[in-house]
Amino acid sequence: MRVLVTGSTGFVGSAVVAEALHAGHDVAALVRPASKAPFASIADHPKLRLVRADLRDRGSLDGVFSDIDVVIHLAATKAGDFATQFAGTVLATENLLDALTDSPVSRLVAVSTFSVYDYSSMPAGSVLDEDSPIDTHPAKRDEYAQTKLIQERLYREELARRDVVIIRPGMIYGRDNLWHALLGGELGPVFLRIGGRSILPMTYVENCAEAIVNAVDAPDVAGATINIVDDALPTQAEYIAALSRRTDIPKSVGVPWPVMKATAKAVAAVNDRFLQGRAKFPGIIVPEKLDGRFKPFRYSNERARRLLAWTPRFGLDEAFVRSLGDTDLVHARATEQQ
Amino acid sequence: MAEFPSGSAPRLRAAVVGTGGISSEHLRFLAASARAELVGVCDMSRVSVEHAASTYGTTPFRSLDTMLVEAQPEVVHVLTPPSTHIALSETALESGAHVICEKPITLNSPDLEALLATADRSGRRLIENHNYRFNPEIEHLDGMVAAGVVGDIGEIEVRMGLPVNDPAGRFGDPNLPSPIHRLPAGVIHDFITHLTYLVDHFATEVDWEVVDSRWSCHGGVAHVPVDDLDSMLIGTGPDGAVHARIRFSALLAPDCFEITVRGSKGYGQVELFSGRVSEVIPRPGGKQLSPIVNMLVGGVSLFLGGPRSFKRKIMQQGPYVGLERFLDLTYAALASGSEPPVTTADMLRTSRLVDRLVAGRSRSDDDRAPAEAAR
Repeated sequence: MRVLVTGSTGFVGSAVVAEALHAGHDVAALVRPASKAPFASIADHPKLRLVRADLRDRGSLDGVFSDIDVVIHLAATKAGDFATQFAGTVLATENLLDALTDSPVSRLVAVSTFSVYDYSSMPAGSVLDEDSPIDTHPAKRDEYAQTKLIQERLYREELARRDVVIIRPGMIYGRDNLWHALLGGELGPVFLRIGGRSILPMTYVENCAEAIVNAVDAPDVAGATINIVDDALPTQAEYIAALSRRTDIPKSVGVPWPVMKATAKAVAAVNDRFLQGRAKFPGIIVPEKLDGRFKPFRYSNERARRLLAWTPRFGLDEAFVRSLGDTDLVHARATEQQ
Repeated sequence: MAEFPSGSAPRLRAAVVGTGGISSEHLRFLAASARAELVGVCDMSRVSVEHAASTYGTTPFRSLDTMLVEAQPEVVHVLTPPSTHIALSETALESGAHVICEKPITLNSPDLEALLATADRSGRRLIENHNYRFNPEIEHLDGMVAAGVVGDIGEIEVRMGLPVNDPAGRFGDPNLPSPIHRLPAGVIHDFITHLTYLVDHFATEVDWEVVDSRWSCHGGVAHVPVDDLDSMLIGTGPDGAVHARIRFSALLAPDCFEITVRGSKGYGQVELFSGRVSEVIPRPGGKQLSPIVNMLVGGVSLFLGGPRSFKRKIMQQGPYVGLERFLDLTYAALASGSEPPVTTADMLRTSRLVDRLVAGRSRSDDDRAPAEAAR
């Protein structure tokens, strides 16, 4: 298949490009105009070509999709204020979908996020899967969740024109991304480890990339939404213990989940009662944001295994070894014989 | 024009063109104000305009002409990029709506004069957003001047520092170079109206005899041709000589927006990003004790500034706090038919002074040419 990958130079995107090459696809990696030497280690791969364009600039996308069968859309903006994330995630997607009009692209593999779920409405300890409710009133969630929810709405509208598969990965970890936001948060100079017993909805980046690439030609997935989490998910405490055995971890202070939840509720009550709800506090003391990161749930990857014929290749320990090693994982996977 | 029940405060039908970053500030005001009824929002992006419309409870439009016909706004807020202001404002004015336009309303004063003539012919107001005039810190300086504690104003300094070269920012992003860099003052054109009207705010009657501006590119970013302005103004007002300095830097930290007004008796200094206010003025106790009292008062003010700054951050009271007041006063004036808080004269003086500052850009380039040729 002729596959174009947006967000290709990112943490997940580069793994997806490598995986797509490994799978034998002809890969067009969309890179931004000022990206310097992207994919240097596989630049001479016969099935890889670079396409320079910026999704925020509709004009730069003209003709880009004229010889593409499937688009894997990963590009998003995760930082900055709402306007910045809206432009980098929502308007970029609007431009992309507009540029797909009259193109031969038959399938869009749209990569979304676990952040779209309505964690606060679900009972703690319940199973969070693809049928769980998404947040319909996300005003108190962060900009990332808000913009990804709008983006998903665009994907569902696009179903009228072509196959769309929505992939929702959990927290993606891997090299340089081992200490992450589901473990806790910074409050000034202190890192608070929040909770410890919550199961982490994680997927190792190479496992996740394989699931995403499997969606390129998987049958019977049009219109499907598929969560991606690995097998044998660790709790927060188990993850930190395993990580600390292999590498140094940041100094932190533990706070039990019930204490943090009660604190956030108290702050919210004060905000509503005395400040008309207008005050904006750090995310870890906003109940809706706190629930989205630390509330305990159980998770399933049954649908991903069934629809994508996917099995996570790497367990936690092997993922740590690969993440902390110095092998060029992109080169290794892209050039590995099937 | 809509008719209002006698005795009730008229609510003007308002619409917005453009859903970029600043639009949320205007839309939030319009959705909540008792003086306005938000009747439409317009943008070329379907998803953006639908999001804005659903967030603020109004009707989305993809075309200004359609919105003017169907929503019949009495006031149109033009919040699009500067190069589109003239055409959109003309269309709105000629439809019979007043126009509130983001700065810079035009890129030079002849264009502003022409647009004001259109407003005159249409019998409508054209008003440029000068929101910082209405920030509480500026109003504090106004109070100091009015109370006479500054004395005769002799010097005004307006200083802004913003990292416009930051590649992660909207101006410095090398992947999508902003069209703002093609304006006469480059990226500084996005701020120069603010800097200039704040000088003018304290020098409305000053005749500027010298306007010497130096424009530089210190950051060395290829697509940001100018990122620094240093200008000196000398003029004569009713109370004598007045100096002013307008300064913009992309390299100095932290971000700042500082205004200092010095006079024959003392000075006031405010910082609009943090809300800091300081005064050095005559105090009870005469010349001997005034310095001590000023230091004590300044210390207390700084001490209290910490909690105030924390409160501003928590309550999301950013530097746009003056916009709500500007809009409220403007709508009150439009409803009553009185002079708006930003007058035609304010806009023209500001625009003409901007012209003179921008004229220095070519002189700066000419001055540098021999040195660059020698290198």
